[in-house]
Amino acid sequence: MSDEPTPALRTSESLELRAALLVGLLLLLVAAAGVYLLYARGVFEPSQRLVLLSDDAEGITVGMDLTFAGFPIGRVRRIELSAEGATRIVIDVPRKDARWLRESSVFTLTRGLVGNTNLRAFSGVLSDPPLADGAERRVLVGDATAEIPRLVSETRDLIANLTQLTKSDSALAAALGNVQNATERIKGPRGALGVLFGNDADAQKLVTALDRTNALLARIDGMAVKADQQVFGAQGLMPEARAAVVQLNSALLEARESLKKIDAILVDAQAIAGNARSASNDLAALRSEVDANLRKVSGMIDELNRRWPFAKPTEIKLP
Amino acid sequence: MTSSASAWSILIDLGRSALQWFVGWQRILMFSARLLVLALSPSTYRGPYLVALSRHLVKDTAPILLWFTLMTAIISLVIIHIVVVTSESYGLSRYALEMVVRVLVLELVPLTAAMFVALRCALPNAAEVAALQARGALEAPSAGSAEPLRREILPRVISGTFSVLLLTTVSCVVCAVLAYLWVHGFTAGGLPSYTRTFGRVFSPAVSLIFTLKTLGLGLAVGLIPIASVLYDRPRHQLRASAELRGLVRLFFMILLIEVGSLVGNYL
Repeated sequence: MSDEPTPALRTSESLELRAALLVGLLLLLVAAAGVYLLYARGVFEPSQRLVLLSDDAEGITVGMDLTFAGFPIGRVRRIELSAEGATRIVIDVPRKDARWLRESSVFTLTRGLVGNTNLRAFSGVLSDPPLADGAERRVLVGDATAEIPRLVSETRDLIANLTQLTKSDSALAAALGNVQNATERIKGPRGALGVLFGNDADAQKLVTALDRTNALLARIDGMAVKADQQVFGAQGLMPEARAAVVQLNSALLEARESLKKIDAILVDAQAIAGNARSASNDLAALRSEVDANLRKVSGMIDELNRRWPFAKPTEIKLP
Repeated sequence: MTSSASAWSILIDLGRSALQWFVGWQRILMFSARLLVLALSPSTYRGPYLVALSRHLVKDTAPILLWFTLMTAIISLVIIHIVVVTSESYGLSRYALEMVVRVLVLELVPLTAAMFVALRCALPNAAEVAALQARGALEAPSAGSAEPLRREILPRVISGTFSVLLLTTVSCVVCAVLAYLWVHGFTAGGLPSYTRTFGRVFSPAVSLIFTLKTLGLGLAVGLIPIASVLYDRPRHQLRASAELRGLVRLFFMILLIEVGSLVGNYL
């Protein structure tokens, strides 16, 4: 029954050709899909290796992208543990995209509240040397969810504090009661003074002190007027002081003239002293000449005494 | 006394059913192994066997290829639209394409193709085999001869398997192209990012699981209905026919394969 060929499938050659076409179509599609998948996986693309070190590989999966400015430039190839227990994220970066990675590039790992974990690269200085093949870099971890437990704990503390504050017997409630009491007293006859001093008697004392201070100020004002007249009035201290200063100026002028005269006298005395000094120098020579002349006169007298007939013989007696 | 006897008979019936279930699967496995050996033999693809194989390939695949591709394209467009719009409304549009590829190409299209071929080709083929067996056309001329298997059974099994593979491949390609066009429009600007997304989804493990799943679905659709009608002898105490029991076995196997692939992909 079903073995009977339909009119369309009458000849075996036609059947074989159509079957071959179908098989060829399947093989072609499978081969094309395989090549496309290999291309999509980056098998035909030369790449360099980058190793990111992290303390925690949570959220990182093989095949996830490394992005730069929102564009995927690399793909996680392998995740492994190093000998020190750190996580090594091995990333393949195609050569054509590796130019965005520099020696100064920074790598971050962010885990969002919703969505994937993201690996991002930031290159601030694109003129730096390019990142070498096989380079190892530390990845900076920014985890939004890691802050949640601390945030919850702090929020709980805050709520506990707020609850404590808003209790009926809390310090805040007591303070608010006191404030209300104070405002009512401020509205009273003594106003804020009564609140400040706590009783009416002290507030009254302050008012009295203020009155006396006002009176004292009035008296000080009168004294200031009188002092002004004594000092700056027509017969006050200031005009007389000004006249005394004028007289003092004239006395100083006279003193200056006297000093000039004394200077001239001193100049003359200096000249006389110079003359006296030179005269004393000549006196020494004169004295030596006088001494020579006196010795000559003495010799001459001695000669006369020897020649004179009354001259006594010179006798020397020995003991 | 009476209640204990009835409980005992229930237990005996359950044990007998379980034994029959295991024996049935064991026969199907042995039959599949014989057919695979024949399928790998070059002599199967020569002379009259090649003509019979070609006839079944064309008859089982060509008429449904266009219709199934069109149907898949329409359903895919609806699903792509739903996924993309939903993703955008939640601000997750960057994951829309990946989700479309995972949902359609990885999961829905192979499953739909297997079910479609099972209902459109495998079950009618099983009914034909049952009719041939009832007429005695499958009796071997000599003991141990594989001639009836090669002439009547193997072409139907191979055509069912091939049909699943071709329909899955064509529909996956069409879905992938439609998803790109729906998201990016008629421009080549989105091709690099789309290719990257495709590469990220089809990791080596996922690709291997997808290939094994498609092959497994094809073999199950080609083998199980025919093996069931051949080796499930008609028993008067069973209400279901051999074809229906074959369909149940097929759905059970499809479910196992699908669960296995899901476990491999996502766990």
